[in-house]
Amino acid sequence: MTPAQPVSVPSGIGAARAGLVSAPLVSMRGISVVFGGAVRALDDVSLDIADKEIVGLVGESGSGKTTLCRVLVGLTQASTGTVEVGGAAVAAQLARDPLAFRRKVQMLLQDAVASLSPRMTVGRSLREPIAIHNLPQQESLARLDTILRRLGLPPDVLAKFPHQISGGQARRVGVARALVMQPQLIVADEPTAGLDVSVQGELLNLLLDLQQEFGLTYLLVSHNLNVIRRVTQRTAVMYLGQIVEEAPTRQLFDRPAHPYSAALLSTNPVIDPQHRRTRIVLQGEIPSVVNPPSGCRFHTRCPVAQPRCSSEPPPLVAIAMKRAVRCHFPYSLDLQR
Amino acid sequence: MTDQAASPSSALVEIRDLVLEASTPRGTAHILRGVSLDIGRGRILGVVGESGSGKSSLASCLLKLLPSNMTRLSGSIAFDGTDLLPLPEARMREWRGRRIAMIFQDPMTALNPLFTVATHLVDVLRRRHPGLQADVAMQRARAALVSVGIADADLRLRAYPHELSGGMRQRVMIAMALLVEPDLLLADEPTTALDATVEAQIVDLLDQLRRRFSGSIMFISHHLGLVAQLCDDICVMYGGTVVESGPVADVLAAPRHPYTRALLACEIDAQDQGGRLVSIPGEVQDPVAPHVGCVFAPRCSHVRDACRTGIPPLRDSAGLRKVACIRAEEIA
Repeated sequence: MTPAQPVSVPSGIGAARAGLVSAPLVSMRGISVVFGGAVRALDDVSLDIADKEIVGLVGESGSGKTTLCRVLVGLTQASTGTVEVGGAAVAAQLARDPLAFRRKVQMLLQDAVASLSPRMTVGRSLREPIAIHNLPQQESLARLDTILRRLGLPPDVLAKFPHQISGGQARRVGVARALVMQPQLIVADEPTAGLDVSVQGELLNLLLDLQQEFGLTYLLVSHNLNVIRRVTQRTAVMYLGQIVEEAPTRQLFDRPAHPYSAALLSTNPVIDPQHRRTRIVLQGEIPSVVNPPSGCRFHTRCPVAQPRCSSEPPPLVAIAMKRAVRCHFPYSLDLQR
Repeated sequence: MTDQAASPSSALVEIRDLVLEASTPRGTAHILRGVSLDIGRGRILGVVGESGSGKSSLASCLLKLLPSNMTRLSGSIAFDGTDLLPLPEARMREWRGRRIAMIFQDPMTALNPLFTVATHLVDVLRRRHPGLQADVAMQRARAALVSVGIADADLRLRAYPHELSGGMRQRVMIAMALLVEPDLLLADEPTTALDATVEAQIVDLLDQLRRRFSGSIMFISHHLGLVAQLCDDICVMYGGTVVESGPVADVLAAPRHPYTRALLACEIDAQDQGGRLVSIPGEVQDPVAPHVGCVFAPRCSHVRDACRTGIPPLRDSAGLRKVACIRAEEIA
């Protein structure tokens, strides 16, 4: 990794923003992450998340979703750009009081069972963060109790080991462990991956209820487009380390502006033949981030690419209220019914 | 295809009352609790069900690759008129990879990391056609790669599995399966490990191949949307039993079994806007639990006392449909 760089100055803009009512909870500006000098995992990514907003992040492997999450929770340092949470730079917050920052921002990991120690009972795993963060014992344990009841986890779960509980229970244990810290922001990486559809709805209802009850803000990563469409208010589509489109979720699904978004959404299999769309099958596979294509990074697979696309990288431009797209010819690939 | 004329029946595979049990530290696990199912000739059968429903075990039974802790395997699997269960292992070995082939979920672990793509393909061909000349085999291997949409076939033949992307590996697996020209191709979640746009490519490929491939396909998936698009028939499994089967369009348009209905209701589709998301309350049947009534009874919203005391048979419903519910007509 590249050596630490002064990521942001916690004054000026940041302080001014904190005073505004409309200031976003999360503000990422021009984030790039370069691994080993060559791998641009993220390239000039900017994303705002308002307080109590639910934002979805979609894209395929190698698009940079996980790196973006890691930057946001402070596990990976951005090579350039600034990340602010609650009006203050993440790097500064981590330097000053890392535990306080980690209480504010919690992450739900993709593999819920693997994120619990196999050698600890669920109860011990749940109590461990209380000790690490030096929280008032009695109050925190009482809160944990309330949360467990709220999540519908039976008390005997506490005495069990991770391999003895179901996948759905492991997910809820992960949620409980995050909530004990009373976070503001939860970054959920594929929260429904590996869950059967019969229990997926229950978990999503729970996440939505908790958002209301505790005033949480979510960044939700998923490759399940149905989940994204149903749960999030705004969605960012990523391709090869860049955000290629950002839009209110409903608008994105109704009429995607970027050809990649259109192709991705068209692949979502639909049960009812009457509502089936023509699948836009892209040629080839995602190129490597080590050697991304020139111009628009999507031009090698884009069905509607023009000569200009291979030479001139398109900027992310606003095309409507709260909508931005990184394409020279937005709306040129329409979803057909 | 070999011995096609030997069987007078129309279905390629007729599974009747298949029971698979295994011993576990907690007692006997009922993995399959009397499965009856037909796979039609040249048809694609989608097998759907949640984890633990027994869909992958069903595929293992068809290959007779069974867990070592198995304690009971009974019933019958008539494959083109021959019952597989009493078949000696030596015969079975001849059939595997010849008459029955399989595509696995994870192509990386299914391909041998020490062999090139060419070796994989030529091995399969030589097994199918002993004594095939090396250069002919190589030509056919190359053609197979082209037919599954792999560019630079000559380059890829020399590649090792780790040099290929996930989608390309799955294409190699499909090419291997097609070289075998099996009567039955088992595909166990073949697109689950792939990215969305690559998954779409593979689904598209399978869709094209069905026109060239004369055998039957059993497509195992937990994804109802995928099965709806790709398959002719569907079989819904729950707790080691078949709860409903029939032509895919009929079953999904008007499901008869409460479990199929509940499963469809859980799917989030483009019409659904707001409100609570649906889930099925309760937990999946414990495989160790004894089989006395309907396996879905503890979670069923239409349950009656009779459901808990008697096992509902998989009976004929309208047309080619079958359903294992005593109240199917009443609640439809």
